[in-house]
Amino acid sequence: MSFLLIIPIFFPIAMGLALLALNFKERGKRQIYVASVCIANMIMSIVFMFTVPAREFTLVRFTDTISITFKVDGLSTVFGMIVSILWVVATFYSFEYMKHEGKENKFFSFFTMSFGVVCGIAFSANLITMYLFYELLTMATLPLVMHAMDQRASSAGKKYVAFSITGASFGFIAIMLLMNFGVSLDFVYGGILTDQAAVAGHEVLLQIGFICAFFGFGVKAAIFPFFNWLPSAGVAPTPVSALLHAVAVVNAGIFAISRVTYYSFGTDILRGTWAQYVAMIAAIVTIVFGSSMALRENHIKRRLAYSTVSNLSYMLFSLMIMTPEGLVGGLTHMLFHSVLKITLFFVAGAIIYKTGREYVDQLEGFGKSMPLTMAAFTICSMGLIGIPPLMGITSKWLISKAAVDCGDPVAVAGIVALIASAVLTTLYLFEIIIKAYFPRKDIDVAELNKDVKDPNGLMTVPMLGLTAFSIIFGIFPTPFIDVFQSIAAGLF
Amino acid sequence: MLEGNGLLMFLVFFPFAAGLVSYLIGRNSKRARDIFVIVVTAAELAAAIFLIASASDTNDFHWHAFAGLGVHLRGDGFRTIMAILAGFIWFFTTIISIEYFKKTESRNRNRYYMFALWTLGATMGIFLSSHLYTTFIFFEVMSFTSYILVIHKETDDVIDASKSYVGFAVFGGLATLMGLFMLQANLGTLEMDALIPAIESTGISEVTLVWACALVLVGFGVKAGMFPLHTWLPQSYPAAPEPGTALLSAILSKAGIFGMFVITGQILLHHFSWGLALTLFGIATALLGGIMGILSDNFKKTIACSSMSQIGFIIVGVGMQAVLGHHNALAVRGSILHLVNHSLIKLALFMVAAVIFMNLKSFNLNDIRGFGRKKPALMFTTGFAILGVIGVPLWNGYVSKTLIHESIVEYIEIAEHTGWAYGFKAIEVLFIIAGGMTCCYMLKLFFAVFVEKNNDPAKQAQFDANKHYMSVPVTVILIISAAILPVIGAIPNITADGIADVAQHFLHGHSPEHAVHYFSWVNISGTLKSLGGGVAAYLVIVRLGMLRKQSDGKKAYVNAWPEELDLEKKVYRPALLTVLPFIGALFARSVASIVDWFTAFVGKIIFLKRPERFQPPLNNEFGTFNEEEKESKIPQGISYSLIMFGAGVVAVLYFIIISFISGWR
Repeated sequence: MSFLLIIPIFFPIAMGLALLALNFKERGKRQIYVASVCIANMIMSIVFMFTVPAREFTLVRFTDTISITFKVDGLSTVFGMIVSILWVVATFYSFEYMKHEGKENKFFSFFTMSFGVVCGIAFSANLITMYLFYELLTMATLPLVMHAMDQRASSAGKKYVAFSITGASFGFIAIMLLMNFGVSLDFVYGGILTDQAAVAGHEVLLQIGFICAFFGFGVKAAIFPFFNWLPSAGVAPTPVSALLHAVAVVNAGIFAISRVTYYSFGTDILRGTWAQYVAMIAAIVTIVFGSSMALRENHIKRRLAYSTVSNLSYMLFSLMIMTPEGLVGGLTHMLFHSVLKITLFFVAGAIIYKTGREYVDQLEGFGKSMPLTMAAFTICSMGLIGIPPLMGITSKWLISKAAVDCGDPVAVAGIVALIASAVLTTLYLFEIIIKAYFPRKDIDVAELNKDVKDPNGLMTVPMLGLTAFSIIFGIFPTPFIDVFQSIAAGLF
Repeated sequence: MLEGNGLLMFLVFFPFAAGLVSYLIGRNSKRARDIFVIVVTAAELAAAIFLIASASDTNDFHWHAFAGLGVHLRGDGFRTIMAILAGFIWFFTTIISIEYFKKTESRNRNRYYMFALWTLGATMGIFLSSHLYTTFIFFEVMSFTSYILVIHKETDDVIDASKSYVGFAVFGGLATLMGLFMLQANLGTLEMDALIPAIESTGISEVTLVWACALVLVGFGVKAGMFPLHTWLPQSYPAAPEPGTALLSAILSKAGIFGMFVITGQILLHHFSWGLALTLFGIATALLGGIMGILSDNFKKTIACSSMSQIGFIIVGVGMQAVLGHHNALAVRGSILHLVNHSLIKLALFMVAAVIFMNLKSFNLNDIRGFGRKKPALMFTTGFAILGVIGVPLWNGYVSKTLIHESIVEYIEIAEHTGWAYGFKAIEVLFIIAGGMTCCYMLKLFFAVFVEKNNDPAKQAQFDANKHYMSVPVTVILIISAAILPVIGAIPNITADGIADVAQHFLHGHSPEHAVHYFSWVNISGTLKSLGGGVAAYLVIVRLGMLRKQSDGKKAYVNAWPEELDLEKKVYRPALLTVLPFIGALFARSVASIVDWFTAFVGKIIFLKRPERFQPPLNNEFGTFNEEEKESKIPQGISYSLIMFGAGVVAVLYFIIISFISGWR
């Protein structure tokens, strides 16, 4: 039965390829096709995640250590659930949004394929499999980034490919090292460097390898100084920015780093070494840097992209604390940030779709004109800032608590960065909120926003649904945190 | 999941639900909404009073799942008193706000009432909290919901003031959060009861503890308006509509004081240096508020600065609690009572301000001069409130100020013959001076509004003819709010001591060994000194300094406060908006240019033979090389990707070669 696991991976890829061939002329038919594929895949992936008995399936075996193998554990479930559910939400959103972007057939076929590839990353059981799908993800999402096919889009696309491939190749160095020194390449909580005799004397080399992996896989998580592709990739259609560049792709980077740190190298060989400090300091720098860049960026989507840069490093910082609490903090923020940021991007997309306005200055008085949209934006912004009792505060609390508990001075410095970043987050998000609800007196808002209205249900329902989710589970986050804690305890 | 006294949950969460309902009602019927809001606040007041009766069964309420760490509320003596105070003030300000908004700006009332109710819920959450994280959650909620109250008028000045409000609120909230992290990490708990035992059992270093508490204090100090975190206060209090200001001054500032009580009574119990620092901050706040109050020509700003000054007195009381250690009965009771008294007095004064504004739409003393003549109800309320706040015997402010003053004197006696005695002697003198200032600016207001005539006789005639300046319900609540004051002040051994007896356990206070003789000659003479100084200051500063002859030969009030002497505009804003971004940008640019240099260097080597010209990328406005000219040295296109790819390949090859040479495996 364990072969079922490959269905959520290859079914969307096949269906995406089929869509390229079918090339529907009617929008309605295509929407039904894509929606049913995505929903079916969501259901399958969730059901299989919880029911497949053996929980491991080898597709191809090259050598003893190198194989393409899939399995499900706690971490895959978390990543898989986040992606599957948000994918469906984003699908409905993009049905409406893509109407004005054109080339829908191509878009949706790659969009569907990417779903499978991300599931592949989530379900991979060893480093080689993950590496394969990690590279595939770059390729599958490239057409989505370059969708507009103008000069800006292709430049952004090239940047994305160059950064990602280079990053992954650095990650490959780490994989080679692990192959040499580890007992296998499988993901085992606690690491695979259990053969003390083999490891002894090569710790520094392995730490160098870890740094390669951290920055290599960190490219997708937009670690400083490899963050540049993410704001540039904002030229992609908004559903792509929302789903891939706030959730799927960037979280794949976070996911890969947690796999490498907690399941391959293991934290024992890294904790307290220079490698941990280098990684942690890079994350701390990115936290503040991303937020301050967001503040000076006037383009809504790029501002949100820089905000993502900063928030991804909250997770990286938390993971780099290298304690179970750190893993819990990172996973919690991964979930909460995904929900909040995808909604913020949906709002930005709704604004661009309805009005074509892309800059913060142009949003004066939108609170009246787009009440539902701006309400979603306000609540999710406050969540992201970390105003209790909304979502963000819980994850920030867990991260900071993990940092304080580990007692490391660098980690404590990270809390200062978190707080500085929270101030900056408030500034860059509240600027938009204040403009929307309290416009300047010297402009005629009614005239300016004459034709501005909330978008239709395909767009507002995803936004408001996610906002409601963020309120409810912001107030009651315990079920998720319990799951994350059992993962970090190595139980799930 | 939910356990304990449901009344506590009702007090905190009902206003949140009711706020939403009021918004929905208000979309259909404004009248129904007004009635609904009054009923809700009345229900809150009733529930708070009922807490006294229900508290005997179970005092606590837990909601474990709420926001990760759970909510823990408690309804013991002090907290019940604070809840009743909040309910009472909300009820009264809601009644007056309905008339106020009808007569002034009636836009966005729905929004105002919704956020006012949410703020009520959050404030109840703070006052009833028994776990510091609960306090923090509701403190943050309160900061942001009250922001809508501040920005209500939406003029450009107001938006500017509200930016400073929200800026300080965020900064303070995060500093508090940082402090709470430190406490949680070191003590392992934030449960208020468990803090002192945890400090003893964990043996936390004193330096860490004081630092953590100082950070926690920042947030609460901001809300209380403590020097040097006060600069938002003289801007934001006048910016809000008067019913909102009444809430800010009478209740929200007390949330800050509540936090100080928690630190002083539940964490740094009897800590001398902590108390000394708070006392000094308190005295500075009291003096600065007093000076700003005297020099302003604006009715509302004067009362706003008065709030700051009176809060300074309370902070002195909090500081003296810690300084006096186990003998702090007077300071504990004095600060609790001054907190209660100040809330009641400021409620009355800001309601008077609301009445003035809804008739005249101005607060400039020259515009409103003479408005109060022949208006006995208004004069009664203002007069009683002023007698209360300046501390005339038989009114309530006298009792609490005397207690705080006595606590300073007590320490001078304890510390006799040591250096501290002289230091506290100086603090005592400053305390009396600050009390004199209260008298001075309040006399200024009273004479300007109720005694002097307006410079424009036509206007004065209009004022005198205006008999329907407020409705009957407003008259009733104004008179009630003023009539309470002497009830506390004239029979202090029953009323004031009663409140203090119930509340003091929160601060680990004890009843004094003998009943305090409030009206003994020693205490009265101290007050008389202060009042005498105040009258003299009024005659000299206000009559001679601030009433200047205008071109038409008549005397008018001038604003004597040097506007350029603004801590926020001179120090805080430049520091935040100029210096920090500069440092940040310098840092970011340096690092970014290292990366740029590296890429450009590699590019130079690889494309040595064929230097290509590229358009600069559109989105890439950061980094060193874009500044120079239209020619980017970062190669674009697939070649660039190849470089990066090549770098990866080279690294892999290097690794393989090294591993081959060194012969692993």
